[in-house]
Amino acid sequence: MRKVGFGTYVVIIFPIIAAIWLLYPTYRAWELEKEKEQLAQDSAALAQFEKEYGETLRELKLRRLKLGLDLRGGMYITLEVDVLRLLEESAQRDAIDEVFQEVMRKTRQEAERSDEPVLDIFLRYFDQIARPKGRTLFSYFEFGDVRDLTEEDIIDRLEQNIEDAVDQAMEIIRQRIDKYGVSEPSIQKQGGRRIVLELPGVTNEKEVRQLLQTTARLQFHLLRQNVEIVQAFAQVDELLRQEQAAREPADTSSIEKTVTAQNPIDTTGQQGDTAKADTTVQSDTTNPYAGLSDEEAREAYRRDHPFTSLFVTYYIDRENNRYVPIDYVRKNFPEGEYYFEILESNIPQFEAILQRPDVMRIIGTDYMIALAAKPRAETEGSPQRVYPFYVLKAEPELTGEVIVDARATFDPTTNSPIVLMTMNADGAERWARITGANVGKRIAIVLDGRVYSAPVVQTRITGGRSQITGLSSIQEARLLEIVLKAGALKAPVKIIEERVVGPSLGEDSIRRGLTASLIALALVVLFMVVYYSFAGIIADLTLFLNLLLILAMLAAFGGTLTLPGIAGLILTIGMAVDANILIYERAREELYKGRTIRAAIDEGFRKALSAILDSNITTFISGLILFYFGSGPIQGFAVTLMIGIVMTLFTVLVVGRSIFQILLARGVQTINLGQPKVAAAK
Amino acid sequence: MEFFRNPNIDFLGKRHLFKYVSFALMAIGILGVAILGIPFGIDFTGGTEIALRFSKPLDISQVRAVVAQTEFARSEIKTYGAPNQFLIRVQQTKGAGEIAAKLKEAFQKQFPDLTVTVLKADVIGPKVGKELRTDALIALILAVLAILLYVSLRFEFAFALGAVLALVHDIIIAFTWAVIAGQLGIISMEVNQSTIAAVLTVLGFSINDTVVIFDRIRENREIHRGLPLVELMNMSINQTLSRTVNTSLTTFLVLLVLTLFGGAVLQGFAFIMLLGIVVGTYSSIYVASALTIWYIERRKGKKKVVAATAT
Repeated sequence: MRKVGFGTYVVIIFPIIAAIWLLYPTYRAWELEKEKEQLAQDSAALAQFEKEYGETLRELKLRRLKLGLDLRGGMYITLEVDVLRLLEESAQRDAIDEVFQEVMRKTRQEAERSDEPVLDIFLRYFDQIARPKGRTLFSYFEFGDVRDLTEEDIIDRLEQNIEDAVDQAMEIIRQRIDKYGVSEPSIQKQGGRRIVLELPGVTNEKEVRQLLQTTARLQFHLLRQNVEIVQAFAQVDELLRQEQAAREPADTSSIEKTVTAQNPIDTTGQQGDTAKADTTVQSDTTNPYAGLSDEEAREAYRRDHPFTSLFVTYYIDRENNRYVPIDYVRKNFPEGEYYFEILESNIPQFEAILQRPDVMRIIGTDYMIALAAKPRAETEGSPQRVYPFYVLKAEPELTGEVIVDARATFDPTTNSPIVLMTMNADGAERWARITGANVGKRIAIVLDGRVYSAPVVQTRITGGRSQITGLSSIQEARLLEIVLKAGALKAPVKIIEERVVGPSLGEDSIRRGLTASLIALALVVLFMVVYYSFAGIIADLTLFLNLLLILAMLAAFGGTLTLPGIAGLILTIGMAVDANILIYERAREELYKGRTIRAAIDEGFRKALSAILDSNITTFISGLILFYFGSGPIQGFAVTLMIGIVMTLFTVLVVGRSIFQILLARGVQTINLGQPKVAAAK
Repeated sequence: MEFFRNPNIDFLGKRHLFKYVSFALMAIGILGVAILGIPFGIDFTGGTEIALRFSKPLDISQVRAVVAQTEFARSEIKTYGAPNQFLIRVQQTKGAGEIAAKLKEAFQKQFPDLTVTVLKADVIGPKVGKELRTDALIALILAVLAILLYVSLRFEFAFALGAVLALVHDIIIAFTWAVIAGQLGIISMEVNQSTIAAVLTVLGFSINDTVVIFDRIRENREIHRGLPLVELMNMSINQTLSRTVNTSLTTFLVLLVLTLFGGAVLQGFAFIMLLGIVVGTYSSIYVASALTIWYIERRKGKKKVVAATAT
């Protein structure tokens, strides 16, 4: 009797555990979402649910198996950089003449029909029309910083601009979509000049279109994080508190609930090193919460400060070079500069309060509050991301049109990443005045209402060439470059493909597809048992495991299940069943030759191997090619197919085989392959 | 259970006859498509398409009448999978959602007691459509070439040639016949990106089937040296017949269920694969094997001629 090693059991047990482990988030997220749906009517219960499971659900959603838009409804949009408009934008406004417009007109006409890159068409017409008239590219294009540009350099820069426009548009769109509140949006770059957007669940095409097509504005604002704004914040607290007090006697419990549901920032936990409140900053130390436990005190503080408890306020203590957390219990705030930050989950409420007319009156029209575009780097990966927000002078000092160029590079002396920014003559003059008047102060770079950087003015900058330092990485520098370029160039993008799948069609496809697939699977399973008897059951078990593993792998690699993906799955079922059939037919042949069941099964596996491998490898190769050369749905098909083939080979050849080995090792004398009785006698 | 016990059917004896069957099937398919045209979806042509569902079945003329009163009067209208679902192909190419909303409103006004649901609304630029079509075609051709290469490496060129020509044969028949069925209104069918996925699946089935038979031929050639090729092939086809029938049958069942119950979106897609599995099984024997024999015999014949002239 051949011994079966521990490993044989492992190859059966391990994939089962792995599949369950990888698919559990999908199941759990589905369960939680169903629960949430039931609570939809009851806002208090919903808030409670959000508090308890919100975070878990968000995390689960990241790890679950995603359904394609064709299966769950939503919008699919392809955007392309409008190279024509970009060329227009890149040209010097006052240099554009009839010759240039003629070239543009011809280019536009041809671009509509041709597959040739628009820039090539443009250059061809430029040579044909503009050059004979004595124009060169220099006549229209100027890229600030380099004096001795060649024509090739200009073409390079135009090409670079096209690529930058894609990155820039992506950045702006990402911010806007974030703000719009789509769950699980996917924003991807496709090739050099396209962006593919997938917005599940969104069907309001008009709004999204508006979101994508309004141009973003780049502005420079002075920071005004002073004591006045802190006092204004305290007043907002007062306003909300009074409002609450007026409601309080009527229904205490519901207020209690909404307050706790706000999930306010835990001031003490946030900035480890600066967390110890420095009482010397705020002198009167009468504590209104004396005698309460920590938890109760925090609760009471939140109730008394419904607005300011949403975020954390720090006083910047320049002398000791530290950030001191401030509370709003006392009213005498020190003069000087402040710093604010807020938990991502509190942002919607924070913004809602700021939009109230009465609150806006308190803050005043001179001030503007803008969130940072990115969370604080340390919190980027964590589920509780923290965003700084800035209080700015509402009137911008300068708008982005004056920027001619921006470049991320390294400082040659310190080797740290910097961004070089060049302005035109008009901008340079104003910039010198602005920087001269604000040395030591901070100026925020704001795109589309989000602050990307708020550098301190070191000195008066003349000549229009500035250097932004103190960036943590080249990625940050690159992002800033793209953002600054938005001033010079409005990232013209156009929608070239747009699909809205109604949720009912998605549901319909799922329900129909799923029912049909289940019926089909049941038929296959039944056939295998009827035809191959006990061996058929083993084949069915490996088939189930196979399907589980494919779905698990899709979930693990962040793949999406789409309709063509289902086709891939069907082909896989076919191939998996075929592999089993090949083995069993071979084994039966061997049985007819009078071999023992053990030898027959061994031979079945051995002899069927080459056919199984060859057919699967050929299919895998075609999958690989489709993945590289196909687009969208074809790729989805290819991915499922390739995963399916690997899993089929594994489940049939390794798991299936192991099951037979274990059975035989445990002394099973006959395994019914479903062959007619006469055969055995023969 | 067992369908066949040591079958001994002379499959290849009638291969010359089936040559005509294959040609006829392809010719009818191609001719049919040439006459009826290919119902390209907007994936490949560009354009705007809105699918609406009504709570009650409507007559297509009623739908036409309503659409005619809107600014989208020049639209093409057809049913979409069910009598209460319609696909409206609009000329305008800006703002799928807005067009859908306008159409929905028009219907709501005409039939106040009906609920109208927008199933989908797509706008695809003409350039994108062209590109998607080219991409799909390139991917398909490259896949076929890669298979040719792999099968030549694993077997020999004659086999690879037979296998690939069988593939092309299957793709042509499955695709054209599905298109014809679609154009005649037997199934709901539109040629779009999913269709390409279906054609690719046909490719997968077809090559799988052929490789299994070829694998057996390769094995038998080692055991029964000197056996004439036709007999060798017949023997191999007979030995793998159980497997061929069982695999094809199970896959056929799966696809039949999908075609019948898969709904508007899955139907056309499953139907191509259904045709593919049938033709694929047939072609492994009568196209792939028969062509391989033809090619090898022709080469041998040439060699003989060359040898004869040399002496």
